[in-house]
Amino acid sequence: MLAATAGLTVSTSGCIREIRSIVNRNEVEQLSLTISTVPADGDRESIQLARAVGSALESVGVDIAIDMLSHEEFRRAILVNHDFDLYVGPHPGDTTPDFLYELLHSRFAEEAGWQNPFGLTTLSIDDRLEEQRVAENGGEDDENGDREDAITATLESVAREQPFVPICRPTEIRLARSDRFEGWGEGHPATRFGYLGLEPESKDAAAELRAVNTDARPSQNLNPLSAEYRERNLVVGLLYDSLAVARWRGDERPIAGGEQVDADTGTETNSELDPDSATDLTPWLAADWEWTDDETLHVTLREDCAFHDGTPLTAEDVAFTYEFLADTTRGSRRFSAPTPHYRGRVDAVDDVTDLSETELEFTVGTSQPVAERALEVPVLPKHIWDERTAQASLPGVTVAEGTTEALVTDNVPAIGSGPYQFEDRTDREHVTLARFDEHFTRRDGVDLPEPTSERLRIQIDPRSTSAIELVESDSADVTLSTLESYVVDDVFEDDGDVPETTILESPSWSFYHVGFNARKAPFTNPRFRRVVAQLLDKEQLVEEVFHGYAEPIATPVVEEWVPDSLAWNGNDPETPFLGTDGDLDVAAAREAFEGAGLRYDDDGNLRVRH
Amino acid sequence: MLTQVLLQLVVVVTLMVLVSIAVFVGRYRLRDTRLEWRARIRAAAPVSALLAAVLLFNSVARQYGPDVSWIIHWNLTWPIYDVEGEFILWLQSFEAPAITAYFSFIYIYGYVFLLVFPVIAYFALSNTRPLRELLTAYTLNYVLGLGLYVFIVAYGPRNMMPELVDALLYDTYPQYQHLTRQVNRNTNVFPSLHTSLAATVMFLAFRTRAIYPKWFLLATGLGVSIAISTMYLGIHWAIDVAAGIVLAYICVALAHVLVGRWSFTAWVASLRDSSTSTGADTNTGANAGFPKTPPSESTSKSHSHSDSDSEPESETGSDPEPERA
Repeated sequence: MLAATAGLTVSTSGCIREIRSIVNRNEVEQLSLTISTVPADGDRESIQLARAVGSALESVGVDIAIDMLSHEEFRRAILVNHDFDLYVGPHPGDTTPDFLYELLHSRFAEEAGWQNPFGLTTLSIDDRLEEQRVAENGGEDDENGDREDAITATLESVAREQPFVPICRPTEIRLARSDRFEGWGEGHPATRFGYLGLEPESKDAAAELRAVNTDARPSQNLNPLSAEYRERNLVVGLLYDSLAVARWRGDERPIAGGEQVDADTGTETNSELDPDSATDLTPWLAADWEWTDDETLHVTLREDCAFHDGTPLTAEDVAFTYEFLADTTRGSRRFSAPTPHYRGRVDAVDDVTDLSETELEFTVGTSQPVAERALEVPVLPKHIWDERTAQASLPGVTVAEGTTEALVTDNVPAIGSGPYQFEDRTDREHVTLARFDEHFTRRDGVDLPEPTSERLRIQIDPRSTSAIELVESDSADVTLSTLESYVVDDVFEDDGDVPETTILESPSWSFYHVGFNARKAPFTNPRFRRVVAQLLDKEQLVEEVFHGYAEPIATPVVEEWVPDSLAWNGNDPETPFLGTDGDLDVAAAREAFEGAGLRYDDDGNLRVRH
Repeated sequence: MLTQVLLQLVVVVTLMVLVSIAVFVGRYRLRDTRLEWRARIRAAAPVSALLAAVLLFNSVARQYGPDVSWIIHWNLTWPIYDVEGEFILWLQSFEAPAITAYFSFIYIYGYVFLLVFPVIAYFALSNTRPLRELLTAYTLNYVLGLGLYVFIVAYGPRNMMPELVDALLYDTYPQYQHLTRQVNRNTNVFPSLHTSLAATVMFLAFRTRAIYPKWFLLATGLGVSIAISTMYLGIHWAIDVAAGIVLAYICVALAHVLVGRWSFTAWVASLRDSSTSTGADTNTGANAGFPKTPPSESTSKSHSHSDSDSEPESETGSDPEPERA
């Protein structure tokens, strides 16, 4: 009996071990992904791109769901909580490629805002970005190397890694009334210069400039640091001043089939300029600045500037701003809470000292062009923001660490020093700004575009069609947000019928992209990301979704900086589309996934450990 | 812009109502109404006040509701889309300018008319019960519908498939955007309140078909058109419409049960009775059209009543107050 039991034990022990090794292997399940995006109201393109990405992924055996989030929730999920698989949406972009530093460097992967939302942690990219940060213009022989070469190297590495898939750069189309104001398009309408220096042609126009915006967020929140509510910072640019401002040269060409394009306003000469030519950095709140050595920037402020509440603006406020943006807790907590905006700009500054009421000294650790970007951040009044360093609190709720009041306040009324000051707002209806008469641009001897209309009323209207109607029926002067591309053809057709309107067509530095969460499998795998990029026919998407009013791109920078190796050549030079004319070659795509080491089951589902 | 659209709406609906009064209500009912209007108003006043309060609360709640919804964050858009697929696109495949014009008209004008006219038509009846049931059902629709809106985030087809949904109301007639965005938020699509209110009127019209047979036909036609228009115009999913019909059924059934259960005037009277009996007497007895019923009786009374308005005095003087007061 004992022997029999012993014999049985010996013979089954091997069997049990085998069972254990069979049972304890986890199932490799079908890859199931959620695409986050925003609803069509206000951004028709993102949801269409998301559905195109979704159907491409479905055809290669991935299970897909689309999560539609409101604009605020979308940004909170992607930029603050990093809670997503992949998303589709616009990035505000920038006129120089230096924004890639904060967008992709691994040391920003924990931060909120457009600070590495992908969670990309690739040392080779970090190296490229750091080299780009210090490389000087024309520095081929310099120890830090040449800026242009460094940028090219970064862009090529980024294209290879595909932490996100840049899809296209839309053309910005806006509609304005030329019978009320002259001077449309002399400044880029995505910046404050689109609305300063306009010449009112009637008393009414001098009293009020009526803009219409499809995005309701400016009526809800005016916090320049909000990750959720700030997009392109246009309203912030009107309410706040920065030391220097970027001016897009060769900006605008009002093009239209009407006689309203007057040749004498110089539009002809403008159009000869390359639309993607560089921007100038113009002194704004700073009267001037000077490099005393490679690392020291001496800035002189304009005299007698003040905030909208009458408090004088001094060098102390400026120095405070840079410290505060680097950590909105101002050191009161160990867990720092840097600003979600302007992060890369502020990061270039090692130290700021106010020498006198109007003199400052910046110590920087980057090349001069990179450091000068730091001058573009809005100057915040110390007496207001210094009170906002505490952790936001809500009775009965545990507030996330790093949530300072500064980051979540709606900042109404916004007190800045900009050309316009806050007057009034109604949620989802309007935000109205009043001219700040003491602004330095209105002084004699300052040759900068100034606010002309007494008030600037930004009305909220969630659809392009109704916004156009407001402009055409003389209820608004300009569409602040760009028109959605599906109505643009109609606008060009109608333009002859309404001679009082003019179409503003401007190049854009923002771009649409698909972002991957590289913290999660399988997006941790660059090979997987590259094959996903190859599922998208960008050219076709531009045709279908943007009705041709966009440029497909392989790299996320403005044309001036695109290296030849990444120039669009009818297809993506780095991740060419696996198919022709919008038809995905499913067999080839599946093969590409298998080539990247992923596996399909007998039913054709892509199975990945995730 | 908004005032112009509103003015147009008021003029058109007023015209429709006037014509309908002539066609459906008739001279005799109007004559009676002229004699009895005070009593009828008194009968319907409590529930009207309640409806007004709910509507007022509604306008406030719509302002803050979406914030609460996003905190709860129960997003149904994808599940709805996943279940029903592309039914809306099939419906839209019948698109033609004339059909779009018809459904746009129905969605805005037909809807407002459908909600306003029965109030007048039922007011013209000596029996105030249908009127009170109608107003109670409206109130319930708003209360229950808003409750669901607070919990559920869902975007309509136009936000999901903007390029496929062709016949968009707001693209064909952008001016209506100014009107409807005053009352609608884009995350509030489940259930369709347009459908549920229209179906409520339809169900009640079915009940009063003996009195207003022609109105029943028109209400059915309009109600069905409104339900289709919400889908055809890309505003609601078929599932929202189905949920709207269910909501309407619940509201009508509840209204039937609740109306007449509680009496506001009787309650007031009982309060007065307890203090001074003469005061209550002069107050309620002043009404010629209504026999005075002792409060104790009216509160316990169960209403067996027919929908015919040939028995104008079948009701007691008790005034309804639905449960949710």
